[in-house]
Amino acid sequence: MEPEMSQNAASAGPESQEPGGGAILSVRNLSVEYKTGQRPNDPAHRAVRDVSFDLYPGESIALIGESGCGKTTLGLAILRLLPKLGSIPAGEVLYRRRDGTTVDVLRMNPDELRRFRWSECSMVFQGAMNSFNPVLRIWEQMYETIRAHDRSVSKRQAYERSAQVLEDVELDPARVLKSYPHELSGGMRQRVLIAMSMLLNPQVLILDEPTTALDILTQRAIVDLIHDLHERLDFAMIFVSHDLAVAAELATRVATMYDGEIVEMGDVRDIFYRPQHPYTKSLINAVPTVAEKSSVLSGPAGSESDG
Amino acid sequence: MTQILDPSATEFKAPPPPDEPRVGVFRTVLRALMRSRTGFVGFLVLLFIVLVCLIGPFFTPDNVPTDVSKQFAPPSLAHPLGFDNEGRDVLMQVINGGRPVLFVGFMAALISTVIAVVFGALAAYLGGRVDSLIVTVTDIVLTVPGIILLAVLAAFYRVGSSWALAVILGVLGWPGLLRAVRAQVFSLKEREYVEAARLLDLGTTRIVIREILPNMASFILMNFVIGMTNAIYNLAGLYLLGLAPMEGDNWGIMINFAWTRGAIFYQSSFFWIMGPVLAICILQLALVTMSRSFEEILNPRLRHN
Amino acid sequence: MAATDRGHGAPVTAQHESPGERSERPAVLRFAASGTTRYVVGRILKAFFTIYVVATATFFLLRLLPGNPVEVYINQQIAQYGMSYQDAANQAAGLFSFNPDEPLPVQYLNYLAGMARGDFGESLLSPGSSVLSQIGAYLPWTLFSVGTALVVSFLLGIGLGMAMAYRRGSVFDHVMTFFASVTHSVPNFLLAMMIIVFFGVQLELLPIGEMRGSYSPGVTPEFSIAFVTDVLYHASLPMFVYVLTTLGGWMLVMKSSTIETLGEDYVTVARARGLTDRRIQFQYVGRNAMLPLFTSFVLSLGFVVGGSILVEQVTQYQGIGFLLFEAVNRRDYPVLQGILLIVTTSVIVANLAADLLYSRIDPRVRITGNGGRS
Repeated sequence: MEPEMSQNAASAGPESQEPGGGAILSVRNLSVEYKTGQRPNDPAHRAVRDVSFDLYPGESIALIGESGCGKTTLGLAILRLLPKLGSIPAGEVLYRRRDGTTVDVLRMNPDELRRFRWSECSMVFQGAMNSFNPVLRIWEQMYETIRAHDRSVSKRQAYERSAQVLEDVELDPARVLKSYPHELSGGMRQRVLIAMSMLLNPQVLILDEPTTALDILTQRAIVDLIHDLHERLDFAMIFVSHDLAVAAELATRVATMYDGEIVEMGDVRDIFYRPQHPYTKSLINAVPTVAEKSSVLSGPAGSESDG
Repeated sequence: MTQILDPSATEFKAPPPPDEPRVGVFRTVLRALMRSRTGFVGFLVLLFIVLVCLIGPFFTPDNVPTDVSKQFAPPSLAHPLGFDNEGRDVLMQVINGGRPVLFVGFMAALISTVIAVVFGALAAYLGGRVDSLIVTVTDIVLTVPGIILLAVLAAFYRVGSSWALAVILGVLGWPGLLRAVRAQVFSLKEREYVEAARLLDLGTTRIVIREILPNMASFILMNFVIGMTNAIYNLAGLYLLGLAPMEGDNWGIMINFAWTRGAIFYQSSFFWIMGPVLAICILQLALVTMSRSFEEILNPRLRHN
Repeated sequence: MAATDRGHGAPVTAQHESPGERSERPAVLRFAASGTTRYVVGRILKAFFTIYVVATATFFLLRLLPGNPVEVYINQQIAQYGMSYQDAANQAAGLFSFNPDEPLPVQYLNYLAGMARGDFGESLLSPGSSVLSQIGAYLPWTLFSVGTALVVSFLLGIGLGMAMAYRRGSVFDHVMTFFASVTHSVPNFLLAMMIIVFFGVQLELLPIGEMRGSYSPGVTPEFSIAFVTDVLYHASLPMFVYVLTTLGGWMLVMKSSTIETLGEDYVTVARARGLTDRRIQFQYVGRNAMLPLFTSFVLSLGFVVGGSILVEQVTQYQGIGFLLFEAVNRRDYPVLQGILLIVTTSVIVANLAADLLYSRIDPRVRITGNGGRS
């Protein structure tokens, strides 16, 4: 299978130091690899190969693909949160700030990076089960996040802001702020994480499998919540998911990833109704619906069960 | 109603029995040593010590001769560690003196390991009243620090022989291990293969021996080695205090004599004291490195790669 | 680790208050917190029970072993001083706080009553001085030397352990691990011996003759700089040995705990949130990595009193271990009884403290009436 960019894409502009035409985030030829062994000569596994795409203000891009295709790694790489074994041998991540200046995230020094994280671009991680420090209350974790970026904010203001974002995710601030993480349910923790990600008004929000590890009712609620927030507030969203249904609901554009590369990218309707790349086609077809009779799923011949 | 897909599959076969515990242990030891260089070195050192202490005495006189003219004589090629206050060759004494230490340490560790494993597994597996009883007794014994209890016991009851010493040390060492075994068995109890065995009604002892214990082989081994280091520590301590049977020629006795009759007074008694002291320290070091290599198997994140 | 009995789950009510303050539960809900009090009371009772068992065991040990020491003492008094049996028995009664003629159960009750009063009898070695005062003269020295060493060793150990985890695989890590293994396996009293023999006798660097004892003879105990310095001087060798031999253990355990904590999700999220490395190191990694060590630390405080006998013997430091050894040698049974009891009590108290305190530092183990999870 020759993975190539199909022409469904509104692709990134030519090689330039600016994010193409009004894009907030431009990923250019990004590659990520993981070391497989101890010694320097050991082969590295390329988890992301030469990926490029643009993210425009207000839009939401879904990265879909099967497990292990590199979508989570891509998300982590944008914020440079790869584990020790990971490295970025090539590429650029161009970000356009609110004041119009452009900067390459991959070339930032540690201090700039620290300030960039969360305030410009934040991330909601897969399974918020363990995303909070168990020994600190939610309030403390909100407050320290704010303080880490702006020491001039007073406690009062920080409290108001924290309460605000918690209300945005339909939680009771008074109760949640004084709780410890383990005192909240899984669904609540996911909401708190989403709230926290909005705390500093980032321009870009990356969500990694926001609904996996949740029960189906909570999934529904979270998807609605994300949709709602995206409508109301002003941020661009990249979300990683293997759940095509979620992608269909939340995305304006979809990118399919296979083996570290983006094989097709386009408007959400185009991808779902007129997929061109063979891999995308098989992904879409693999989703069983109640209406169709998919041949892969039938049981032994002549054994239609009545139960 | 669901359909049976393969009628011949209704005959249930018992799962094949796991490896005999002995093989499991042996394989575990090999695995541990192959993976950890320091563990391997420790093992070699231990092997060396054991060989010297077991075989060496065949080459040295049972009663190292005294020679007053050689009192505290300095070391020479023929006598690398010099002589003690009675003119006896220190090196020979060191070679002779390892066997009792190894023996008592090993037996004591064995006794406490057996008690701990048997009762710990029973307590965890049977639960309920049996568990509560065993735990209470363990807690009580655990509360008194070993060396103190040993000292007090020794005051009341003169320890007669090496065996008695081993028994006393062993009987004091089990509480710590029992707790650990109990915790491990608790967690293993919930695993699927034990559930399966239980459903097949294989019987308590059999389940414990065949399903649970082999999986704890490296854990038990690690604790056995630790038990041995504790026993040797207590052993040396008792000898130093003069509370153990002062016959024979072991390292503990050497330390006692050297300390009370020479080391802090005469510079020339340096090797007399350092010989047995270093011997014990090296033995402990070897045992500890080995136990840590077993620990690395249990907790793979500890490994350096 | 404390197994929490969650008792009756009482929902946390939403209340309006400023952040970070503990909730004031209305009286109704305080009742529901009986889960906590029941647990605490239960543990305290269990502690008392254990002390009681040990006291009883000591009592019977004393009386049921071959060569009843009381009888021995009586016979000794008769032989040595030509006392009558009655006089000797009376003296024994005073010393051992019991009356040999009384039936065993009564003796037992008197013994318990005496203990409750704090009367442990008198020392055989120094007639006239109570066991309690003897212990009181020696115990503080041990508490000081071992206690300080333990705290220093713990703090140093967790610091180094964390550093080792952060620099995993580096030369520093390898060297430190080796160092930790070596010092951890050497028996502490042998280390003391080696130091004394090598530096004191061979190289004559340490004035070991002077360093014996808890403080120099002729110096009066008082809170003066001179005295404190003197005490530190004398305690330096035992303290050094304790620190060195226990440091390795803390280092290695903290290293593995830190490694595990570093792999936790919340550390990655903390980095994503743009928190400073410093903050992450302390509040996120350090605090969480330290939790499992905390219990061990408190427990080892309990063993402070017991573990010192050998080192004190070698360094001639007059602490409780020293007293114990003397008592053992001279069969001073009342003192032995008393020491055993004190030691056991300190371990039990430490156990209790460890259980109860742990819930203070790890909010997940809070024994509250809170059943918040759904």
